Amino acid sequence: MSEGRHEAPVKRDGALADETPSPDSFSVVIGATVPTGFEYTAADEVREKLGAESRISKDRGRIYFEVRADSLPQVHQLKSVDNLFVVVKEFPDYHFKDTKEETLEEFEELASKLPWLLPLEVWKLNNTLKKRRSRRKGVLRAACPGEISSDGRKGGAKPEPQRDPESADSVIESNTASERGAASGTGKGSSAAAKEESQHGDVDSEEETGDSCESQDEGKKSELLKFRVTCSRAGEKHNFTSNEAARDFGGAVQDFFLWKPDMTKFDIEVLLNIHNEEVVVGISLTEESLHRRNITHFGPTTLRSTLAYGMLRLCDPLPSDVIIDPMCGSGAIPLEGSIEWPHSFFISGDNNTLATNRTVNNINYIHKKRQNKGSSHWGLRIDTLQWDICRLPIRTGSVDTIVTDMPFGKRMGSRKKNWDLYPSCLKEMGRICRPETGKAVLLTQDKKCFAKAVSRMGHLWRRSHTVWVNVGGLHAAVYLLKRTALAFEKAEARANLKTKSTEEDEEERRGPEVSDAAPGDT
Amino acid sequence: MLLLSYLRMKLLTHNMLTSHVKGVTKGYPLLIKATEVKLTDVDFNSEFVSRMIPKIEWSVLVEAADTLGHLNDLPRDLPPDYESSEDFLRKVHHVLLEVEVLEGNLKCPESGREFPITKGVPNMLLNEDEV
Repeated sequence: MSEGRHEAPVKRDGALADETPSPDSFSVVIGATVPTGFEYTAADEVREKLGAESRISKDRGRIYFEVRADSLPQVHQLKSVDNLFVVVKEFPDYHFKDTKEETLEEFEELASKLPWLLPLEVWKLNNTLKKRRSRRKGVLRAACPGEISSDGRKGGAKPEPQRDPESADSVIESNTASERGAASGTGKGSSAAAKEESQHGDVDSEEETGDSCESQDEGKKSELLKFRVTCSRAGEKHNFTSNEAARDFGGAVQDFFLWKPDMTKFDIEVLLNIHNEEVVVGISLTEESLHRRNITHFGPTTLRSTLAYGMLRLCDPLPSDVIIDPMCGSGAIPLEGSIEWPHSFFISGDNNTLATNRTVNNINYIHKKRQNKGSSHWGLRIDTLQWDICRLPIRTGSVDTIVTDMPFGKRMGSRKKNWDLYPSCLKEMGRICRPETGKAVLLTQDKKCFAKAVSRMGHLWRRSHTVWVNVGGLHAAVYLLKRTALAFEKAEARANLKTKSTEEDEEERRGPEVSDAAPGDT
Repeated sequence: MLLLSYLRMKLLTHNMLTSHVKGVTKGYPLLIKATEVKLTDVDFNSEFVSRMIPKIEWSVLVEAADTLGHLNDLPRDLPPDYESSEDFLRKVHHVLLEVEVLEGNLKCPESGREFPITKGVPNMLLNEDEV
């Protein structure tokens, strides 16, 4: 057993010491945080790519699934997932003691009784994969060129050429902690964790640089492991705070493993997640949320790639589908789409030059990256245009799907603007969308305005499905709409007739030339 | 070796664009005037091409490719059994996705209004008076 002084003897080829099990011989439970509302979509992806069924913590942005330890690289390839951890133990129905002191004491005793061995093996395995992952955050771009290849194989990565100075200048404009807080779940502890995450990101890139030239962790072998405990707690009936639990549980972990506590430069992060009667102990496998992949040029409201992916999965893109984001901002949705569904065609558009520039820069970055890797067919099926959403220069009925993040009215636009904008948008989107088979997946926070606009456009769209989500702390919704079978002109004519006949009915009821008399008999 | 590759307008996109200037009824297809064209490299997928062909205007594609000088030996008439000819599908793939306009403009066939293409991004915004 690996109790007592604990080392991290990771060998170069990832082979583990004799007495520890090999990764293809044991399974572990992995926990993943996903955008709230998209738990089923994420479970779908897990089933498709890992062949595993997931347990879902509905509306809590968390799913659990069991896989063999050697499929860890594939787990990291999941696109619906913000953060990953390996479960040490789950207590679905934990009985807390009556007093704070007793409860905390019990947490302390827990530390030495948990089945740490296999989860720690997974953590070690994860480290060897981590070292080869390139830094995606522009500001923290490390000199270390290592990159994980697409199948996750731990081959010796050949050094990449230095990044183009133009791309090195690209700036991350905003990456708010509040969004990450939303991503990592509820409870007091996690917002603290989110803030610390951003610090930790800095530090890690320094360590990464130090480790370049494939010297791995020779330096680490003789060092003590550093750790921290992050506790998130949600529920009314607890007699302790997340800080207290983290402190006492952490103290016991320290005594047990003789690791050194460090809030910022930790090697291993132990998670203590408490939600009402459910307690889950885990070890973190991602130190920064995976949700900012692909994007290097951020705008004021750039959507998380995991949320973009979830929305795209809802549309189920097929080969040759023409998919448009007519309010693309920095292009997060179409870019994610063109990477994950390479045989559909994506068109991104926005009225704002800043936005189209950002989108083009984001796409260029990916193109350059693919060229640098030496892949021969590096071109993505995506184009960008500048246009007005209410007057799209697109032929009627030529688009299969519309996916977009509609202006919220809080971070962009205004409530009043939405009132006029939404119906016009829906109408124009209805025009360009292919009748019967066409669909739209639309994210908005202004649900009232949206619902009204949809009901006005009932001749073009019918509601199919709604996903309630949380975007940067705002309660939003993703609406899946299906295009009616009516061709646009016919649908419009019918709608106009209806309006006209409603007006005529009104006139009849009012009677001829009634001035200030009481309403006539109907 | 780093290639500076700007995004450009593909002919597939052009096939779907129409002029929306007020009062115009025959705004399709837009006439392309290109001062800079580049070739790119996109992964070939036969299903993509054979399913896309019925969705596009074949004659417009041919005309556009010809204007850019990249028609090569693409036939002006669509062969009846195109799904089974990989050679043909590869030619179509090339013209749809790999011939791109970097600089130039798109001209409305009816009003003559020109929409500029800069760094591959067509600007289709109308002025106040055109709306």
